Amino acid sequence: MEALEMYTTDDRSDVYTEELKLNLGPQHPSTHGVLRVELKMDGEVITQSRCDIGYLHRCAEKIGENVSYLQFTPYTDRMDYLASMNNNLAWSLTVEKMLDLEVPERAQWLRMICCELNRIASHLIAFGTYGIDIGANTPFFYAFRDREKIMALLERPSGTRMLYNYIQPGGLRRDVDDNWVDDVLTFCGEFEKAWVEYNTLLSHNRIFIGRTANIGIIPREMALDFGLSGPVLRASGVKWDLRRDVPYLAPYDEVDFEVPIGEGTYGTLGDCWDRYWVRMREMMESIRIIRQGCAKLPGGEVMTKKQKSMYKTPMKPGPGHAYMRCENPRGELGFYVVSEGGASPIRNRTRAPSFCNLAVLDQLLPGTMLGDAVAIIGSLDIVLGEVDR
Amino acid sequence: MNESAIHQSLLAAGIAGVGDLDESSKDPTIEVQPEALVETMTWLRDDAGCAMEMLHLVTAVEREDRMDLVYHLSSLAKHHSITVRVSVARPEGDVEFVPEVPSVASVFSSADWHEREQWDLLGVRFAGHPDHRRILLPEEWIGHPLRKDYVYPSEHGGIPLELDAVPIYEKAPAGEAAERVSEPRPAGAPLTQPPSEPSHRPHAGGKAPDKTKDQS
Amino acid sequence: MGILNNAFPSNAVTDAVDGAIGWGRKSSIWPMTFGIACCAIEMMAVYAATFDLDRYGAGVPRATPRQSDLIIVPGTVNAKMAVRVKRLYDQMAEPRYVIAMGACVCGGGPYVKWGYNTVKGVHKIIPVDIFVPGCPPRPEALMDGILKLREKVSKDDVFRRRQHANGEMTAKYEAV
Repeated sequence: MEALEMYTTDDRSDVYTEELKLNLGPQHPSTHGVLRVELKMDGEVITQSRCDIGYLHRCAEKIGENVSYLQFTPYTDRMDYLASMNNNLAWSLTVEKMLDLEVPERAQWLRMICCELNRIASHLIAFGTYGIDIGANTPFFYAFRDREKIMALLERPSGTRMLYNYIQPGGLRRDVDDNWVDDVLTFCGEFEKAWVEYNTLLSHNRIFIGRTANIGIIPREMALDFGLSGPVLRASGVKWDLRRDVPYLAPYDEVDFEVPIGEGTYGTLGDCWDRYWVRMREMMESIRIIRQGCAKLPGGEVMTKKQKSMYKTPMKPGPGHAYMRCENPRGELGFYVVSEGGASPIRNRTRAPSFCNLAVLDQLLPGTMLGDAVAIIGSLDIVLGEVDR
Repeated sequence: MNESAIHQSLLAAGIAGVGDLDESSKDPTIEVQPEALVETMTWLRDDAGCAMEMLHLVTAVEREDRMDLVYHLSSLAKHHSITVRVSVARPEGDVEFVPEVPSVASVFSSADWHEREQWDLLGVRFAGHPDHRRILLPEEWIGHPLRKDYVYPSEHGGIPLELDAVPIYEKAPAGEAAERVSEPRPAGAPLTQPPSEPSHRPHAGGKAPDKTKDQS
Repeated sequence: MGILNNAFPSNAVTDAVDGAIGWGRKSSIWPMTFGIACCAIEMMAVYAATFDLDRYGAGVPRATPRQSDLIIVPGTVNAKMAVRVKRLYDQMAEPRYVIAMGACVCGGGPYVKWGYNTVKGVHKIIPVDIFVPGCPPRPEALMDGILKLREKVSKDDVFRRRQHANGEMTAKYEAV
């Protein structure tokens, strides 16, 4: 005991410390892709952080200036590869705005159902990988079990498990088969039971709350200043959802759903647990939307006649520019297209939600410990394909 | 408020340099002179009627005779949005065009990264930006790729960027120049980024569009 | 096995030992947790319950290259990332294997024409053992690639290990 007292001192004047430069490098199990954060640390506490991105920069904007409007749709898939349907939708809506294309009603309702299914799939990955970041490996397997069901459902109309290229300017690539709607409703029933399992596993777990409550608090003013969107913004108490507030797809006005916001349940408003909980509740709201969508699905065509002829001749909007935005699972995805009348735009810019959400990381990390840094990055739910484009 | 009402109240605020509302395309756009940009943005954010809390996007658009900078703002409280455009004319002659515009990072923190990206890809300088460096491409990258006259490189510091390039772990076939095998560069020397052969460039005809040719 | 390399003439005893060691090695190839882009999600699906890679002994991903036998490269490699991919490969200990997963690393993928900073195939940076094409390849396709890799590993010479093409590859250029 005496030896212990000898080495315990509150006076650090005789202790030599040095600042540690730590690289949370592009290859790391929990950076959600190839993100690099240069950290300066005082022991375990981060004093300064600098994000370094660009490890997945794939020249999407240059490609957008050189391929046609229809050919760019697969590239939008690959930006936020976890929410491909939503990306396709945002691009299709932008092109339809420029061309004044009318989309058939059935296509709009099917678009909504597919986007909500993809929203659940994307939030499932956020849930599963967040568990791994915190150290809990089990939720990952549960999440992927249900994700496989969604991918099997979306594979039937589109042909692939990911990167669907299904929602195209003018409507949908092809119609769904006859049993699809029944299978979607079966999935909804199974998912509602699984959601209860996820909560038991992770949400109210004491260790999880200890790791995520009161960590990475984003106040409302900071959220608006940095242009955050999606669950990150809603967890700070701002009730803003583009599906409700800037309606971009008509069926969203005819279904009933709530927009969950953070309430500071286990800690301060706007902490990591709030962001996680907003995503969990959004999954249930998506199930509600899907059920109502399946009930009200009209019949008819899924692709405009004008668009069918445009498969042979390229689309050429008139000169001008348009910006169209959609609610991606990660936030507000927007496409800004400038056209001068040619077959490809002269400027094709993507407003990626993860790019804007990540900018706040350099403000959140200083003062936290290294383990909290991982929790904060995980709670922002970024996809590097979108950050770097 | 719709866009023309926002424009009217902006004109009524009396900021010098605010231009017309361009309603020729789907998104009505307010033209603003570069000198008035920061003041306009501050007014749009702080005015109670407009209350533009969020800056969504900063885009640079390269045209033949000018560089446009387009800012998309929106208000959550008032459910409206507006687009603002700034133009910098291209000077005469075949000089390197590096337009300069004041940075709005002091008004909206979201502009920080968007402006860094426009510097990176299009070479627009932002006066007063806190951290003016490349964000997506490597620091020593030469050139601004989204420019219309950009020439694709064949390699960057030894990393081959062409389809038929020799792997870096294989020696070049006998007779080929020794530059194929990457050598360590001396301290302080910049990374090399040689331009690709004209036949290897992706543009139509294999040549990058020639800016000096007259537009007939 | 470096000291025993090429120490014995070809005979049946070393062939049998080769076979035994090959069987041991192929049944416990430990990959590295390395995900770049979209293909990484399908790779994660292979690790997960429905397609379970652990039944092949390969379901223990190591976070550090120094402990892993296999690097699966999923996703486009660009100039900035290529430096890091090469460094990770250099840090792996022999015997090491590379699977190139996805169209982007097999030969450029959708970014082959207009990508100014994408490397058109990771085989230009590190020597690749198995190419798995697809965009993204189905999890079954990646598992097929791993099964082919197991065959390759089981037939690998241990005592008469031929020099890989990377014998002359050293970290000659600097990272950014």
